[in-house]
Formats: sequence, C-alpha cells, structure tokens
Amino acid sequence: MGGIVLIVLAVFAARRVWLGYPATGAEFAVLAPREEAFLQAAAEALFPPHADLPVSGGQADLPGYADRYLAVLPRRQRTLIRALFALFEHATLLWPGKGRGGFKRFSALSPEQRLGVLRDWQSSSLALRRLCLTALKAILILGYVGHPESLAALELAPWKIDSPRVEADFLYPPIGGHRDQISRVGEPLETAPTAPPLVPGLDQEAP
Amino acid sequence: MSSEARQDGEVRVFSDYTRDFEEDADVVVVGSGPSGSVVAYELAKAGHKVVLIEEGPPFTPQEFRADGNISMARTMREGGLRSTTGTFMPILQAICLGGGSLINSAMCVRPPAFIFDEWSTRYELDHTTRADLDPHYDAVSEFLGIAPTPEDVQGPRNLLFRQGCEALGIASEPVDRNVRGCRGSGECFSGCRARAKQSMDISYIPEAMKFGARVLTSLQVQGVLGEGRRVRGVEGRVVEPFSGRTSHAFRVRARWVVLAAGCMATPVLLQKSGNLANASGQVGQNLQFHPGSAVAGVFPESIDPIFGGTQSYQSLAFLEEGFKLETMWSAPAALAVRMPGVGAELVHRFGELPRTAIWDAIASTHRSLGTVKARFRSLNPVIRWTLHPEDVKVMLRSIHVLAQIFFAAGAEKIMPGVGGLPEEMHSREEAEVLRDYAIRPADLVTASSHVFCTTRMHGDPAQGVVDEEGRCHGYDNLYIADTGIFPRCPSVNPMLTVMALAHRQAQSLAERV
Repeated sequence: MGGIVLIVLAVFAARRVWLGYPATGAEFAVLAPREEAFLQAAAEALFPPHADLPVSGGQADLPGYADRYLAVLPRRQRTLIRALFALFEHATLLWPGKGRGGFKRFSALSPEQRLGVLRDWQSSSLALRRLCLTALKAILILGYVGHPESLAALELAPWKIDSPRVEADFLYPPIGGHRDQISRVGEPLETAPTAPPLVPGLDQEAP
Repeated sequence: MSSEARQDGEVRVFSDYTRDFEEDADVVVVGSGPSGSVVAYELAKAGHKVVLIEEGPPFTPQEFRADGNISMARTMREGGLRSTTGTFMPILQAICLGGGSLINSAMCVRPPAFIFDEWSTRYELDHTTRADLDPHYDAVSEFLGIAPTPEDVQGPRNLLFRQGCEALGIASEPVDRNVRGCRGSGECFSGCRARAKQSMDISYIPEAMKFGARVLTSLQVQGVLGEGRRVRGVEGRVVEPFSGRTSHAFRVRARWVVLAAGCMATPVLLQKSGNLANASGQVGQNLQFHPGSAVAGVFPESIDPIFGGTQSYQSLAFLEEGFKLETMWSAPAALAVRMPGVGAELVHRFGELPRTAIWDAIASTHRSLGTVKARFRSLNPVIRWTLHPEDVKVMLRSIHVLAQIFFAAGAEKIMPGVGGLPEEMHSREEAEVLRDYAIRPADLVTASSHVFCTTRMHGDPAQGVVDEEGRCHGYDNLYIADTGIFPRCPSVNPMLTVMALAHRQAQSLAERV
C-alpha cells in the first residue's frame, strides 16, 4: 500500500514539475521550458500594460534576459537563482492562489491569481518570503526597466560617451583576449579629460 | 615548474599563462584594490622588485556593462550575490584589476579626529591619530587629484539634497572624489566610461609598472608559504575570468608578503594556509560593516536624475550619532528595484523615476559583529553577522532624518523602505511614525560594500592580528593592508583611509626591505 502511495506521489510530482510546459521554440543557454514559462508568467503579473511604459512585462522578453544573466553567474549562484524560480512556481502548494485551481503551479494560474499570489508574498509576515519576492523582483525589474524602450520612455536612456584613450588602455587586452588585440590607434590621454558635462536629452542615445 | 622569463613592468592576463610557472620578487602584494595598489606603487618607486597579484581581470570601457545584474555578475565576487547569514545582507565585493575602485563612487572622506581617538584608546594604538595619518592622506590625495565635486556636475538630485539640508540647518558638503574631468554620467558603479574616475587600474597600477612592478592578473592565491616566524611567498592557480575555472599552478617566492585581498579573502587565505598569524584567535573575528539604507523621494517635476555625480553630496553632521548621509545614483533599472509593490502600482512607480531621487545613509554599526570562515573546499567565505537592536535604531533614525530632508527639499512623497510601515509617506508629519517605530532587523532592506576588522590592528598581540604598521604579530615579513586591519568601522567611506594606512605601511616597508 505504502509503495503505491509513493508511486502516485512520484507521478504527481513528476507531472507537476516537468510535464505540460509548452514548447515555445525559444533557445536558451541555461533556462528550461518550465523556467521560461514561470518567468513569462511572473513578468506578465509584475509588469502589466501601463500608459507610462511602451512595453509590458509580457513583451519585454524577460526569459531571454534572465537566461543571459544566469549564463554569466557562477554555478552555485546560478543554481540558487533557479531554485528561487522553482520555489515560486510550486509554492502554490503551500500558499495557493485564491479561487478555483489555486494549487496549480504559478504559471498555470489565471492572471488575477498570479497577482494575488505575488501580493501574498509581498505582505507575508515571514521575512524570508518577502526577501524571496525582493530577489525575484530584482532580477526581473532590471530586465524590464532596463529594456531600451522603457529607458527611452522614462528619459533615462544611456549616455552617448566616446571613451577617451588613457594610458592604461594600451596595457590591457580585452578580457579573454591576447595582447595583440590591444588597439594601438590614437595617443593616450596625458591629462584629465576635458569634455564638458553631459546634457540630458542631447547626449543620450536615441530610442 | 618552469620559469617564464618576463620583462619587468608588464601586466599579464589569462591568455598569457600557458604552463606552470614561478616568479621571484622582493615583495609580493596580493590584491590590486586601493591599498594593494598603493603599496605596490610605493615599493616599486623605492626600487624594490614588486609582483602585484590580482584574481580578477583588467576591464576596459568596452567591457563595462550598463545592466546592473550583468555588470555585478562580471565584476563582483560570487556574481554579486554574496551575502551574510544570521541577519541577511547582500555584500558587494569586487573581483577585477583595481578592486573596488573600479566600481565604487570614488568617495574620499577623511574620518574626523574623534574616530582615531577612539581607535587609539580602545585598541592601544599610539601612532594612529588623525594627525599621524594626515601626511599620508595628503600624499594619496595629491597623487589621485582628489577634490570636491564641482558644481557643474552635481545635477539636481545632489543639489536638492543640499537644499533640504540647508532648509533644516544640517551641515552638508560636496564630496571629495578621486576624479579628474567628471562629466556627470552617474556611471561610477558600472565603470567610468568617461575615464574620469582615477580607479587604481588607470592610476596607481600603470605608475607602479613604470617603476618595474609586474602585475599578474587572473591568479588565485590559494596559500601563503610559511615557515616559523617568516613567510616565503604565495602559491595558487591561474583562474579563468568569470567562470572561475582554475588551471596552471604558480608560485611567487618573495622576501616580504603583503596581503591586500580584502576583508573577506585575507582571513580566509590565512585560515587556508594553516591558520597563519592567528595566535590571538582574532583572524576572521570582529567583522563589522557600514550597512546602508536608502530612501526614495519623488519630486513634483522631473529632476533629470540621470545627470550628476553618482554620490556627490553628503552630510557628516550625524557621525557622532553613528551615521552618515549621502546622495546616490546607479543604473536606473537597479534603482527601480527599490520600488515597492507588484503589478500596476509597481509599473506606475517606474513612471515616477524621472522625478525620483534616492539618498542613503551608512551606519557605523560597531555593536553588530560577525565572523568570516573559509567554506569547505572553497575560497569563498561563510559570513555570519547579526545586526544589533541598538544599531537598528540608529539606522531607523538615519531614515527619519533623510525623510525630513526630502520634504524640506520639496519632495511630494517618500518611500522609506521599512517593513511594517506604509510604502509611501506624503508629509513630514506622516513620516514622524519613523521616529518611534518599534523596528526589527528584518524590517530593513540593507546592503553593504564597506567591510572591516577581520584581521584587526591592536597594540596587544593577544587581541589583534597586526600591529600599527600592518605587520602580523609574531611574523617578521607578513603584512596585511586592507580594511580588515581597521580596529573598528570608521563611520565614513573607507577607501581613502585604507590608502593612507597603506601609504604609511609602504614607507615603513620600503625601509625594511
């Protein structure tokens, strides 16, 4: 009897964790389809369409952003971040969404249920839950607000800066490169840069 | 091992290492941050054969990334995700040529005399008064062109801080910085593309190389070679940038070893080297931070927050109460992380970013102590630290003062970021709740890049790791030159002080070597 219960639980767990995620065709260096589905669902809930910003979370390719971020993290930290995604995806077993089907994994909830779940994490009396939400938000906000269209709409687009050559630029090759890749073009700056202060609008990149 | 003959005064990068190798030097300096670079330069200038080792790679402007996550993952230890246990707090520590100077805001602040008086009396230090150190502060300041941030690159968000302080009668001042020709890009934290910030990689290190210093990057020191009262050098492995994969072995034999690997890495290295220099039992103990807490304020009109020095205005008026106030800017998306809420309310707050300034306080939390221990089979540390309830009150007091300054400067609302309190406050009266709130450590969102005391300086060898010259008690030729030697947190940004101490150490060492 115990064995049957274990088998049923294992099938349930496997089905919940691995099965039923749609193939989107997107290619990632790190992310699995289940993580892509979670991130897309979280992005849509966190950043709905709004008049102040031209793209919504659902349009900002945040799974792609998260994948690029994970790819440059050390292995241990990458594992922790992926565990965070899995936690949110399946913590609905402990803290379900409101209404019917609230125990489904996060990415299978309705948009209203997802927002409610995130609000629960935000207002939780457990500091650790609030902290986890802050960590998730931190990853996705950097991708969303850092999206070129978001920054342009907020008049916060990056500066156009042509870096002057300093002496040190003739010493260091590109990271991972060889010293024959050091560009010898131009003279090194001998004194302090003399370019004037930047001007918002004028010296920012065009959207 | 074979010996790779190299010319003096050269920098070596990851692709240069093709086999195991050994080097000889008078002095090997481990860590190229502000203190290690000063030591390397001063000793090379004095004619000594210096090898400067750095675990990270050199960065050029083409390598800087505006995205906060990606930038931190590339330039900081543990991908920018290092944190404390006990009281959770993210810790930001650099791994790149130049260390923290590449990605800090260039704030150069001399602590007032009472800080050093406290150091002297509590830690039996007879020659570490402000007057003792002033000549060394002066030398470093002159070398780096340290000067107050000029008015034309302050920008509205810094000047509003001054306006708020003036309205309340709080003393404030432009920040002295190691910057030449600032354009007000506010990009200090991701690397200065304008090449104005005089980080070590473009200032002290190239100058050290002119005097023959050899700079070996992408080398992870894994052990200090010790023998009785003397050390003989260091050894370790070549490490690939970002991936952390190690390959060829190296050894640098030296008559003098200076550890400037940082307040976390230095004690770990000593522990991994057979618990070196730890007769006092103080290696890795006494850990202190300057935890930072930030308040966001929204003004009625756009303040073009993207323009202006990253951290260019400050108030030292509350140092004796235990905190320092300063302005702050970062990648806009990174600052947006500060915004509370989810869904439409969160996105609405993003829309307010052009009208938002963020000011912060760093607290001198000397009652909050911790430890640093080597992680099993890793050079990354386990960091335990607990925020003391009295220090939490100091931090809340600093948030309250920042709220007052915001409203005095004309802000229409603030976001104090204190758990259990309203996300937004719309008047000074409303913000008075901050005055007496029964706050708990978990109510604060905090972070720190200022780390101290894990190899502290103490006149009594039984109570400290190094003496006033930074020499390890009980050792003839092993020195430590990073913020680990501070006996107590200094209450202000530590870069200039650690450089001044390094300058003094280097002068003393130059005579001995």
